[in-house]
Amino acid sequence: MEARFEGVRFAYGDHPVLDVPELRFAEGRVTALLGPNGSGKSPLLRLLAGLERPAAGRVLVGGNPAPAARDSVAYAFQEAVFLSGTLRANLDLALRLRGLSPSARRSRLDEAATACGVAHLLDRPANRLSGGEAQRANLARALSLRAPLTLLDEPLAGFDERGRGQMLAELPALLRRFAGTTVLVTHDRDEALRLAEDLVLLREGRLRAAGPRREVFAAPPDPETAAFLGYTLVPTDAGLAGVAPGGLRPGPGDFTLSLHVEQVVDLVACVEVAGRSGGRRIAVEFPSDHPLPAPGEQVTVSAPTGMVVTFTKPAPEPVDRPSRASVA
Amino acid sequence: MEAIWDGLVEAFRLIFRGDGELFSIAGRSLLVSGSATALAMLVGVPLGYLLGRARFPARTLILAAVGTGMGMPPVVAGLVIWLLLVRSGPFGGFELIYTKQAMIIAQFLIATPLVIAFTAASIQALPARLPDLLTVLGAGRLRTLWLLAREARLGLLAAVMAGFGAVVSEVGASMAVGGNLVGDTRVLTTAIVTETSRADTERAIAYGLVLLAMAFAIVAVLTVVQQRSPR
Amino acid sequence: MPLARRLLVLFAVCALALTAACGGSDDEPGTIILATTTSTYDSGLLDELVPRFEERTGVTVKVIAVGTGAALRMAGEGNADVVLVHAPEAEAPYVASGDLVGGRLVMTNDFVVVGPPDDPAAAASAPDLPAALTAIAAGGRFVSRGDDSGTHKRELALWATAGIDPAGLSREETGQGMGATLTIASERRAYTLTDRATYLALRDVLDLAVVVEGDARLLNVYHAYLVNPDRHDGVAAKQAEAFVAFLLEPATQGLIGRFRVEEFGRSLFTPAVESPVGGG
Repeated sequence: MEARFEGVRFAYGDHPVLDVPELRFAEGRVTALLGPNGSGKSPLLRLLAGLERPAAGRVLVGGNPAPAARDSVAYAFQEAVFLSGTLRANLDLALRLRGLSPSARRSRLDEAATACGVAHLLDRPANRLSGGEAQRANLARALSLRAPLTLLDEPLAGFDERGRGQMLAELPALLRRFAGTTVLVTHDRDEALRLAEDLVLLREGRLRAAGPRREVFAAPPDPETAAFLGYTLVPTDAGLAGVAPGGLRPGPGDFTLSLHVEQVVDLVACVEVAGRSGGRRIAVEFPSDHPLPAPGEQVTVSAPTGMVVTFTKPAPEPVDRPSRASVA
Repeated sequence: MEAIWDGLVEAFRLIFRGDGELFSIAGRSLLVSGSATALAMLVGVPLGYLLGRARFPARTLILAAVGTGMGMPPVVAGLVIWLLLVRSGPFGGFELIYTKQAMIIAQFLIATPLVIAFTAASIQALPARLPDLLTVLGAGRLRTLWLLAREARLGLLAAVMAGFGAVVSEVGASMAVGGNLVGDTRVLTTAIVTETSRADTERAIAYGLVLLAMAFAIVAVLTVVQQRSPR
Repeated sequence: MPLARRLLVLFAVCALALTAACGGSDDEPGTIILATTTSTYDSGLLDELVPRFEERTGVTVKVIAVGTGAALRMAGEGNADVVLVHAPEAEAPYVASGDLVGGRLVMTNDFVVVGPPDDPAAAASAPDLPAALTAIAAGGRFVSRGDDSGTHKRELALWATAGIDPAGLSREETGQGMGATLTIASERRAYTLTDRATYLALRDVLDLAVVVEGDARLLNVYHAYLVNPDRHDGVAAKQAEAFVAFLLEPATQGLIGRFRVEEFGRSLFTPAVESPVGGG
């Protein structure tokens, strides 16, 4: 189900939270809302779910103003919240509130619980599950609804390192199987790239970029966004340039700069050479078989043109810049 | 010592003989205090819910007022209601003074702050996201309230117990606004006062025993329900 | 807010149901509020008289038993229909102001001074009432109602006739009704002033004996008054008049005279028709 924002402004009291002139979530796509903490990702999700009403503008879900018909949206909060009772009772309640028949509920419930790896927990009290179990159960509840629009707020929060890795691997297939259009919130670039087809970048309540992840990733609109995406910012004569992650290599090339080495860290697979150029701290990965500089030396590094973005002026004021973007 | 023993014996005799007056007075206590508690729940639970959930500037002030209300001596509530309902008072025209309704109103005033406070506390103890969750799952307003109430049932039962316990055992307000009228507004507590002042110790003891038994029975039932419910 | 409206409706329905359950006030026969003193009430006389009146007329009588001061104030402010009290000095201002009208003498009885049976202050052997009070002041403890009741007012007046300032005495105020005060006096082995009716009714459970009686200054006079319907709204004047008339009927007066005679071997109240101060 398609969803769109039209001229939406939203505030908590006097404190403006979101200002989104235009944004579209295309049918059937998985979109990651990416941004630092406090950038307005969760409020955007809550607006989509109809839990908040915009102060101005419209949030349309399937062509109608949010809140959409209840069975069209599934939402998993960041914190897994359950009612008292077993996990089965909790999952069943969600399906019952959608008006499903007992047999349909049973099959949906078992299917989602099994797929999310919580089938063995169904008869445990939901409020006594561990962090990772609860998060999987939370996901199972949302996915069991098979809603046309599925909203996931930080679906990988609450897992330990190993569980997070597993979930990161399983989630794309789960989403394909159970979810239609999906919007997920994350503050982690890596998660966004692994899970989503489209990216929406938010900063301070404003859209910085939106579109297919490759496009968004290739053309950060400003240095802050570039830095958030993992770009290395490098001073140039004209202003600033951003080099995409992994773009810097030892030796001369299309875009060359000289680095004053301060630190050399052996990461076994590679060696990280960190230093300064034009007052900015820069880290470059050297292949472990490459001759290594010593701290205090000058070393030349470079990036191919295709991985460099230049920002002609110093960072423009975000406020002056109308953010207009459309995904896919 | 002998007086106490005789009193107890006679009191039990009254109870087991099925003394009509005793049972009609006990029934009246139950009716008046039960109604007052029910009304207090009806009003206090939604208000307590709002105070427990919503954040607004006057909230702290209201919570403080509720706390003060909890500590208000029943006789003060009685005085206020008396002044309002008495014939020369602003609501004298309703002719409610010295009726069971007046007692219910006064006891309602006593029980409501308790109910509000207990409800607010139990709602506050629920996960903050629970109402949002239910909304998102598609529960309507009433369904959401019902499910939240079920979730907070232990606190709500505590509210019933506190409210009923407070009003069924209070004398001052019932005496002031009910007038302790025989066969009409005489309840267990005011009857105890009367029988004590008439030195009919046996009856006073019998009424006291019934009052205790009633409070115990109701609190016991609610406690059993409370303890049985799975968490 | 559909929810709020639904709750409101629910509330209204419950309130209505309650009103129905408790029985609304019927307009025709009516209800009157009789403000009276605790001593009158505690004797049990009104329990005997009121049901007869109610049965005959269908009028409900709400007997509110408070101190004389409170009863008079209630009536004076129009919060009652009839008042039955026994403190002529306190009644006078309300009669003068026109708040209370149609005053009638209903009955009399007498106050007695009671105290521990062994009479530690030797008040019983005093030649007259002031001397007895002086003896108590010198050698005994005294418990006072202290509740602005007719008995309390009378007690203060008696101290005045004896020329004693009660403030300087070993005297305690209970602030409670006659029954409670008698019990306290009995427990504390103290003297107190009581109406004879309450004393006789509770005599068996008290360790108190009559120390002084029969003095003219101990006469206890009960008057009934109507609350002036011209000065106060909502007064059920007709029913109130009927109640006072009922109290004065020969049959009722007879009942008053015979009230608990068998139990105590003497009458607690003297009906107005036989009273030394004469019917009024």
